[in-house]
Amino acid sequence: MSENKLETVSSIVDSYQQNDEVIEELLNDKHSSATWERYHLMGDVMRGETSEVLNLDLSSEIASAIADEPTVLAPKTSTALTEKLKAKVVQFAKPFGQMAIAASAAGLMVMGVQQNTADTDIMLPENQVVKTIPLGGIAEPVSLNFQETTRSSEKQAFVEQQRRFQALLSDHQQQIKLSSVTVGEQAKNDKAEESAK
Amino acid sequence: MKLIRSLLLLVTISTSVTANETEQAEPWLERLAQSLQTLNFSTSFVVVKNNQAEPYHWFHGVNEAGDELEILSLLNGPRRDVLRKKNIVSYIEPELPPYSVISQQISGPIPAILRSDATKLSQTYDFISVGRSRVLGRPAQLIRIVSKDIHRYGHWLWLDQKTGMLLKLAIASRGGQLLEQIQFTHLDITPDLGESLKQLEQSSLPKVIEIPEGYQQQTLQWQVKWLPAGFKQRNANRHRISATKKPVEFMLFNDGIVDVSVYVNASEDKQRATDYVMDGATVVLNQVVNGFEVSVVGKIPAKTAKAIADSVVLLPKPAP
Repeated sequence: MSENKLETVSSIVDSYQQNDEVIEELLNDKHSSATWERYHLMGDVMRGETSEVLNLDLSSEIASAIADEPTVLAPKTSTALTEKLKAKVVQFAKPFGQMAIAASAAGLMVMGVQQNTADTDIMLPENQVVKTIPLGGIAEPVSLNFQETTRSSEKQAFVEQQRRFQALLSDHQQQIKLSSVTVGEQAKNDKAEESAK
Repeated sequence: MKLIRSLLLLVTISTSVTANETEQAEPWLERLAQSLQTLNFSTSFVVVKNNQAEPYHWFHGVNEAGDELEILSLLNGPRRDVLRKKNIVSYIEPELPPYSVISQQISGPIPAILRSDATKLSQTYDFISVGRSRVLGRPAQLIRIVSKDIHRYGHWLWLDQKTGMLLKLAIASRGGQLLEQIQFTHLDITPDLGESLKQLEQSSLPKVIEIPEGYQQQTLQWQVKWLPAGFKQRNANRHRISATKKPVEFMLFNDGIVDVSVYVNASEDKQRATDYVMDGATVVLNQVVNGFEVSVVGKIPAKTAKAIADSVVLLPKPAP
């Protein structure tokens, strides 16, 4: 294996460099160029949104409480809201059929869930602090939530920790995708990492 | 009125269980794999975890040449699409330029093993046919994939009695606590390829990433000494974490249905107490011991993750 190739892969994965070849090839392809153009456009717009960060909720109690509750799937919405949603569903359903119903149902769930968290707002920070053991010695400025972090070092450490967790989570998912290549050969190599006990 | 009622169907999931069910679970899992590989379907599902719900569209079909086509799209937030044509899988994500890998399966919220052969899990999991219930307005069979040891979660599958298709999936702790659920909200099975799959058939996919031979089987300085039975190493490499640019030694393990990542890197801190968060069933655990940071990520109980992290040792070799 050449060091060069290795670096290329690494830099692609790290998005150090844009893979121009891939983009070039796509743009040259007449069949798919329209489709891919759309994808890229969407991607660009989305990338511009800095606030879109995966929301890691720290409170497993709340998570499990919600999971246990059928209200996740049957949200308590105010009657006015329900009426509005019903009207929307009917509107959607006409042109798009069942697909739109499914999408609206998903929207409904999200709304209900958000309401749930609004109810438990007072509880939430408490639980997060309990779950997250604050750490010392880190004073790197966090650009994303700058105003928030100036409040206290504890808060900053908490944000830092959250970013760390989030980086790990997305890298984990990324590596799984890249590792699927080797699945077929797994049986051959079978570098069994069996448990010692 | 009909529409409102169908909405109600979605939200009232009865899990009434008939106890005296003696049916075998394995044929159900084989039937599920068969359906996922051969049917032309268009479906939507919602992943419910923590305080959020993620809606997806999922299309699958087989073209005239007998090649499988598949599209999985996240519908909320930044666009994330996974496309598959036979054995090429492409990921379109906000973090990276589009890329493809050679693989027979897409990596998404639904465990890939379900479409190949879940009965391979029999060394570490039991399969239990629990009974019938009604899901997505259809009669469904509940099958549980239950861990034989205490170190991992169980998967509960609700399968369509008519087609064998997946209608609902839940990841539950041994105590029966639901951590993550995937609820299908719509399912269409058609004799022909769907329109979007026909479009996919016509388009060419991004370039396949070339992974140098041996890159995923590197010899690392750190080693994991303990894992639950059945976990095998799938990947061992050194790379930088995209978001933080931190160089890490990385190992990926898999027991057939669950992936577990282990990261080791030098830290600015000397010691830091163990800390973890849960994203649905996925635990992210992190600790610093003697200046080295060890992190474990995967759909395993926090206790298991902690035991794995504690078992990480430096191999007897020249230290860095």
